[in-house]
Amino acid sequence: MDKPQKRILIIEDDLHIAEGIQLNLTLQGYEVFLSADGVSGLNQWKAMRPDLIILDIMLPGIDGLSILQSIRLEDERLPVLILSAKGDPDDRIKGLALGVDDYLAKPFNLEELLLRVERLLKRGSWGRDNGTSAVSHFDTYAFGDNRIDFKTHTARCRMGEISLTEQEVKVLKLFITHRGKPLSRDQLLQIGWGYSRKTSTRTVDNFIVRFRKYFEDDPRNPVYFKSLRSIGYLFDHTS
Amino acid sequence: MKQVKWLFHPILVFGLSVTALVASLFLYIYWYVGVSSGLRAAMERFNLEQEQMVAADTWVVILVLSILIGTILMGIFIIFVFSQKTTQLYRLQNNFINNFTHELKTPVTSLQLYLQTFSKYELPRADQLKYIQYMLLDVNRLAGTINRILNLAKLESKSYMGEFVVCDLVGVIHRFLEENNHLFKSCRIRVHTPVINTVYQRINRHLFEMLLINIITNAIKYNNAEAPVMDIFVEPGRKKTRIRFVDNGIGFDRKEMKKIFRKFYQIGRSDDMSAKGSGLGLHLVQNIARLHNGSITAESPGRGQGSTFTLMLPTLE
Repeated sequence: MDKPQKRILIIEDDLHIAEGIQLNLTLQGYEVFLSADGVSGLNQWKAMRPDLIILDIMLPGIDGLSILQSIRLEDERLPVLILSAKGDPDDRIKGLALGVDDYLAKPFNLEELLLRVERLLKRGSWGRDNGTSAVSHFDTYAFGDNRIDFKTHTARCRMGEISLTEQEVKVLKLFITHRGKPLSRDQLLQIGWGYSRKTSTRTVDNFIVRFRKYFEDDPRNPVYFKSLRSIGYLFDHTS
Repeated sequence: MKQVKWLFHPILVFGLSVTALVASLFLYIYWYVGVSSGLRAAMERFNLEQEQMVAADTWVVILVLSILIGTILMGIFIIFVFSQKTTQLYRLQNNFINNFTHELKTPVTSLQLYLQTFSKYELPRADQLKYIQYMLLDVNRLAGTINRILNLAKLESKSYMGEFVVCDLVGVIHRFLEENNHLFKSCRIRVHTPVINTVYQRINRHLFEMLLINIITNAIKYNNAEAPVMDIFVEPGRKKTRIRFVDNGIGFDRKEMKKIFRKFYQIGRSDDMSAKGSGLGLHLVQNIARLHNGSITAESPGRGQGSTFTLMLPTLE
């Protein structure tokens, strides 16, 4: 029986390497898409819904690690393989901590890459066969008197039962995964929205105002969504 | 842990030790003057006839003390400068590794990838040629990076024994642009020459061409405009010949005016990897200008507004 063709997205700014990998993966029978920078990479991921992403770290626009975090907010299962010139244990750990499935340092062995890709795809398909959705590991989250349900995109807060937009859910998840660690506006924009650095930062501030209105007892004196001067924002709460 | 580190900040340590030293000098003199005046008063009371000697002594002691403290100050200052230099070198080395990891590994990765592909599959001839072309470009890129490193080592040693000959600058520039036409395909280059149309200058052809290629490729590489444009003005003066390279590239901030000539310096932060390239080009350019007894400066009205590089060479007598 002919299985549906697996789709792979390569986000890599060096055209030669990208084309070389594309050539090989196509010869292996995969369908391959290329993106040369971070912003178009994220767009392609949303449009194509690939089965695997091969990701470079040094990219123009949004760097690879931000892309990875952005993807992980929406999809915990999608296999991602980092292909980077930085191969030190520290760099690998950074990538693995953010949820990458595999890490290969450049220059790499072609056969090794192909085998790893094959393995990742196989494992990815098991997850899907089990019927579990590809949504992230947390379904509900509570802090203070607030309770967020990520499955139904609703929240119970001081304003009563409200429904959250897709973007609000994503930014909330970003804050929750970074609980107790400050997030800069740039980080929020890149990971939460997939914007490159040049965009204006009012968007983030507007979202924070909205979150405070939803979840803070006194929006003027925030307890959960705190501003840190010249750094960004910090989400924290006592458990 | 951070607070402890802050205590050992070299500038702070330097400031504190200098203050301590100056304070001690002041106290030495103060005490000495106090003691000697007390001594003098005592001598006066007992009518001893040594006043002359003591007065002369005071100044000698103060002078000797000042010289000694001055020497110690100098010593501290030199150590301070050295420690600053060391940290700078450390940062340079880090930068170097960061830049060259990318610059060297990328073409090698590409080469290995295609070579392994070739040994694995029998590709059609047309495809083969296309990928061989890629590989050749990668080899060129690699060779370029290696050459830059080697050239730098040669130029920095200051014992460069190249041949300097008197030739027409305008002619050299025109010929260079013609010969390297393929490198600047995407860029429109205009050369503005004075009425006389020949400017004789003592230069080393090889080095001068290296300077040109670095400045022009920078203008193309760091450019967001639709079509890169480069204007070269050759302006002979009485004492100095000025060559201005005006581009419509990304420009730079005022505070980066001097820094861009530093070895391994790159505009863009290293943590977000927006910096690419070796960070050697302009450093080479500066060294070449120096070897010609000239100088080079950079100006830019700001980010995204282009930049002007001005090369000054002494005119022939």
